Amino acid sequence: MTKSPIPRPELVLLLLLILEVVFFQVAGRNFGTAANVTNIVRHSAEVGLLALALLPVILTGGIDLSVGSLLGLCAVVFGKLWRDAGVPWPGAAALTLGLGALAGGFNATLITRLRLPPLIVTLGTYSLFRGLAEALTRGTDAFTGFPPAFLQVGTGQAAGLPVQAWVFLAVLVGLWLLVQRTTLGRSFRAIGFSPAGAEYAGLPVARRQTLVYVLAGLISALAALTYTARLGTAKADAGTGYELLAITAVVLGGTSIFGGVGTVAGTVLGVATLGVLTNGLGRVPATMSHAAELSGLLTGGLLLVTLIGRRLAAAR
Amino acid sequence: MLNRYFRELSVIAVLAAVLAIMAVTAPQFFDGQPLLSRMASAAPRLLVTGGVALVILTRQIDISVGSVFAVCAVSAGALLGAGWPMLVVAPVTLLLGALAGALNGVLIAGLGLPSIVVTLATMVTLREALRMVQQGVFVNLPEGAQWFGQGMQTGQLLVCGIVLLLWAGLTWGLRHVAAGRWLYAVGSDAEAARLAGLRPRIVTFWVFVLLGGLTGSAAMLSLVQAPQVDPSTGRMLELEAIAASVVGGVAITGGRGSLIGVMAGFLLLLCVTPALTYLGVAAYWDKALQGAAILLAVMADGWRSRTGRNGHRG
Repeated sequence: MTKSPIPRPELVLLLLLILEVVFFQVAGRNFGTAANVTNIVRHSAEVGLLALALLPVILTGGIDLSVGSLLGLCAVVFGKLWRDAGVPWPGAAALTLGLGALAGGFNATLITRLRLPPLIVTLGTYSLFRGLAEALTRGTDAFTGFPPAFLQVGTGQAAGLPVQAWVFLAVLVGLWLLVQRTTLGRSFRAIGFSPAGAEYAGLPVARRQTLVYVLAGLISALAALTYTARLGTAKADAGTGYELLAITAVVLGGTSIFGGVGTVAGTVLGVATLGVLTNGLGRVPATMSHAAELSGLLTGGLLLVTLIGRRLAAAR
Repeated sequence: MLNRYFRELSVIAVLAAVLAIMAVTAPQFFDGQPLLSRMASAAPRLLVTGGVALVILTRQIDISVGSVFAVCAVSAGALLGAGWPMLVVAPVTLLLGALAGALNGVLIAGLGLPSIVVTLATMVTLREALRMVQQGVFVNLPEGAQWFGQGMQTGQLLVCGIVLLLWAGLTWGLRHVAAGRWLYAVGSDAEAARLAGLRPRIVTFWVFVLLGGLTGSAAMLSLVQAPQVDPSTGRMLELEAIAASVVGGVAITGGRGSLIGVMAGFLLLLCVTPALTYLGVAAYWDKALQGAAILLAVMADGWRSRTGRNGHRG
């Protein structure tokens, strides 16, 4: 493998993103306006946060299917704390973040202590977290009427950018430092390549795995807060299907689902590609009416083509 | 014997306990016609679950079955609506499912791509393509398609009968036919299987084709139970199938499990919702308990493997 400054999958994805932007700029209506760019950022923030949350998990060779359900549970618990328990919103937000970390710790305990496969543990918690959210709201209850200061997080601007863009950037920089500039990040990759090898090299594998799942839970809770603030409503179905979008973004970004390989930059490009595609298709007159289906179809197709292309390139 | 089948026997024991509690507290659960209706409507999903269990046995996963199911059901409905006879539509639907399975199989076994990502992509692609074509419109079935043109009760018995027959065939084949044993060999250790003279990639390919065929049959058997086909049918089917397999004792790491256990797991998860309703627990706890059931089942596995008593291999 030749060493280049930018790994190839990221480069291909960047080109694709540029093509998308050029195409939608030409064919779409009001695509490049500041309002629309803000719109894209706002709508990509939650899936983007979940994708960043998943990156370290997937780097260690794990997977977390429960992040979307945890988003729903955290949104509901936040709403309940604020409305029914009368906790002021900053306190409720802090407790919600704590719940996210705790839920991640629960996943981690089952995975590291009982040595259970992450896929099946998080499939279980995928049902469990969503089910608890439904049980807490009796399936129908919705929380609304949050204080304006909190709604600012989802709808306001700060220093020219949407507030959740700052949240996303903060997580992005933090994760980049963690994954690509520390020995911790290196240890995630080592574990992904070979857990046994990492163990023999003296890495505390279980502790590192715990860290990535707790982090994933924490970031999911953060996504729950921006989601609730953006929509002004917390319901049990918040974030349904987001885990699949997030996994798609991470894999498109060049991360191997088997672990060991992947970058923060690629993940962000994956999120941007999906976000621009969904938004852009809704702005082209010919595709406007079927934008949601078409973007799903193209995303699935793109994922397949990317996988096949990478496999063929690797075989050459 | 007891130790070898401990995992299966414990699921069957839990199932029996749940049924016994129901028999005492809510005997109306066992009333003939409602019970038959429930079984007939669940039976096709048992077929899909069996197929998914075989895929997991070979150490793969498939999350696209719900979408394949929907595509098969809508296509079959459209063909029936166009006047094709049932006897032609049924095999065509089965083949369509097998074709979708073959697509997954080629990508996974042929190109060596990870099954979870491949089937995530086909799941999304097929579902959205269907949504695009169908726009949520229900497909009306012609007169006489429902219950294969028989009465409701006969139709329900027919559906249950076909599923049980196929299930018996699968269970027997997995234990007593060489190809059935290959699944365990490949799922336990693909490299060892290859050195022993098997061709793991071919085996994997055909398992996906088989799952596709079973999904197509399930779509057909489910279609005849209603006057219309809902194009959003089959959502969450993949989760139900994986959950039932895992609760029934199939190891997600491949090579361990049996279809007897899978059937018990399927029935157990199926009983959760009605049991809750009869016992007065509100239905909105349903999903949380399903999740808890999966976690308890794998935790029991984890504890057993730590204490060194591994389950049997078929």
